[in-house]
Amino acid sequence: MTPGEPLIRWDWIVSHLDEVVLRLGEHLLLTGIAVSVGFVIAFALALLSLRWPWTYGPATWTTGVLYTIPSLALFALLIPFTGLTLLTAEIGLVGYTLLILLRNIVGGIRSVPADATEAATGMGYTAWQTLWRVQLPLALPVIIAGLRVATITTIGLVTVTALIGQGGLGYFILLGIQRFFSTPLLLGAFLSVALAVAADALLVLAQRALTPWTRSRA
Amino acid sequence: MSSRGAVVEFRDVTKRYGQVTAGPGAVDGLSFTVPAGEICVLVGPSGCGKTTSLKMTNRLIEPTSGEILIDGRDVLREDPVTLRRGIGYVIQQVGLFPHQTIADNIATVPRLLRWPEARIRARVGELIDLVGLDPAYAARYPAQLSGGERQRVGVARALAAEPPVMLMDEPFGAVDPIVRERLQDEFLRLHRRLGMTVLFVTHDIDEAIKMGDRVAVMRAGRLVQYATPAELLAEPADEFVARFVGADRGLKRLALIGVGELPLRDAAVVREGEPIAPGGGYVLLLDADRRPVGWVNRARPDLGPDPSSPIVTRETRVKDALSALLAYGVALAVVVDADGRCLGTIGLDDITGLLAAQA
Repeated sequence: MTPGEPLIRWDWIVSHLDEVVLRLGEHLLLTGIAVSVGFVIAFALALLSLRWPWTYGPATWTTGVLYTIPSLALFALLIPFTGLTLLTAEIGLVGYTLLILLRNIVGGIRSVPADATEAATGMGYTAWQTLWRVQLPLALPVIIAGLRVATITTIGLVTVTALIGQGGLGYFILLGIQRFFSTPLLLGAFLSVALAVAADALLVLAQRALTPWTRSRA
Repeated sequence: MSSRGAVVEFRDVTKRYGQVTAGPGAVDGLSFTVPAGEICVLVGPSGCGKTTSLKMTNRLIEPTSGEILIDGRDVLREDPVTLRRGIGYVIQQVGLFPHQTIADNIATVPRLLRWPEARIRARVGELIDLVGLDPAYAARYPAQLSGGERQRVGVARALAAEPPVMLMDEPFGAVDPIVRERLQDEFLRLHRRLGMTVLFVTHDIDEAIKMGDRVAVMRAGRLVQYATPAELLAEPADEFVARFVGADRGLKRLALIGVGELPLRDAAVVREGEPIAPGGGYVLLLDADRRPVGWVNRARPDLGPDPSSPIVTRETRVKDALSALLAYGVALAVVVDADGRCLGTIGLDDITGLLAAQA
């Protein structure tokens, strides 16, 4: 940092507003793709685990291993195969969401009271109807809790994908480090935190809207 | 809106878990018939196979062998999902869907059967009323209701599509005794109105005797006795049943017998205004409409009639008549007809005679 320069140069931010919007959009897109794809894969794995319970062990083991690989190392390992691409970034990001999402989907469904599923079956719901109309709605609070953690984690991780040229708010952080320039550094850091908080709040609101029964106790 | 009951018949139904014939929950060669519109209670100690038998009826459990017929149709030949939509099902934990309102819970089977929404709404309103809940409950969630209220919703939900057969697995087991008694009475009233056939599982012999038109006593997967509650109490098939129904089965039986089944005795009566013949003992004073006024001591007619005497009808349970006699501390109760006119008396001796006869 150049001595005498202010911590934040607001004029720089104002003159780079277009870029701010662009990077925010990239960050959101990278996160959105990662969490959506992660959710679809985790959901499929969860269905598999419910249908064939023996698959749950290997599934959590594999996703657990994925989760423990440091992100930078994972990108380094992938680059020889998939290059500095969006695919490389997303493979890593999706990989990190799987464990938490799988655990929460399966855990949520397993925590549904047995009497509710027994009544559903006994009254003539098919297995599929029981899943969609009884088990999944009742598992929603746990599933959304998983989505919240996955989303926040991913928003944090996306800052790293700037290193492989995929943009996002990490771009500002990188820029700040390279140029010893605190303004973009702090901007990038602040915006990613704000994004995480906003996304989390949004998910909490979504849960409240989707699960009205959890708020009405006698 | 009365749903007619169906005949339910078990024919040599067996359920084995693994190779074991006995074992908890197993059922061995169970055969019995429940006539249309009756309540059949399956009762026995835990693990006797009563719940297994119930769940085989809607194929939540598949029998190893045998047939279960509903109005002559073998349930094993039906599609299980379609079969279940035609059978009411109530379980002890109720199993209401916590994420659905009471109205949506009750609408479960009609929705599965794709009734028009207007008909469903009307039916839900009707059922909420039928089970004695406040209409405002329709929009509430199960967590906002008490245990007894939830159990009523469970019954309403099972009744929604007017099933000819209802399966109830310890439906009143999770509520306190006072609420349980009220729910039992309400259900019996409901059953008289609707007339569906009911298979009812309980481990409580008193509940079995109260609720059942017939009681099937099970032990280790076998049917030990299948009889009306009165027969069960009067003539237990063996030592096991006798112990199971309890040493006080004589007293329990009094709850099943009406005063009308005892021999009525003519009382010494006198109409108001008529002279009382002097002598010993008491005479029953009747008014102009033959309604009892009280007992008069022949030796001291000047004391006037003593009104403290239990008055019962032919329909009064003998058990209640006995309680009244003991409470008043007298030996005779006056039996009256529906208009309150004297028909005769019954005495403590008649009741103790009945107890002696069956012991």
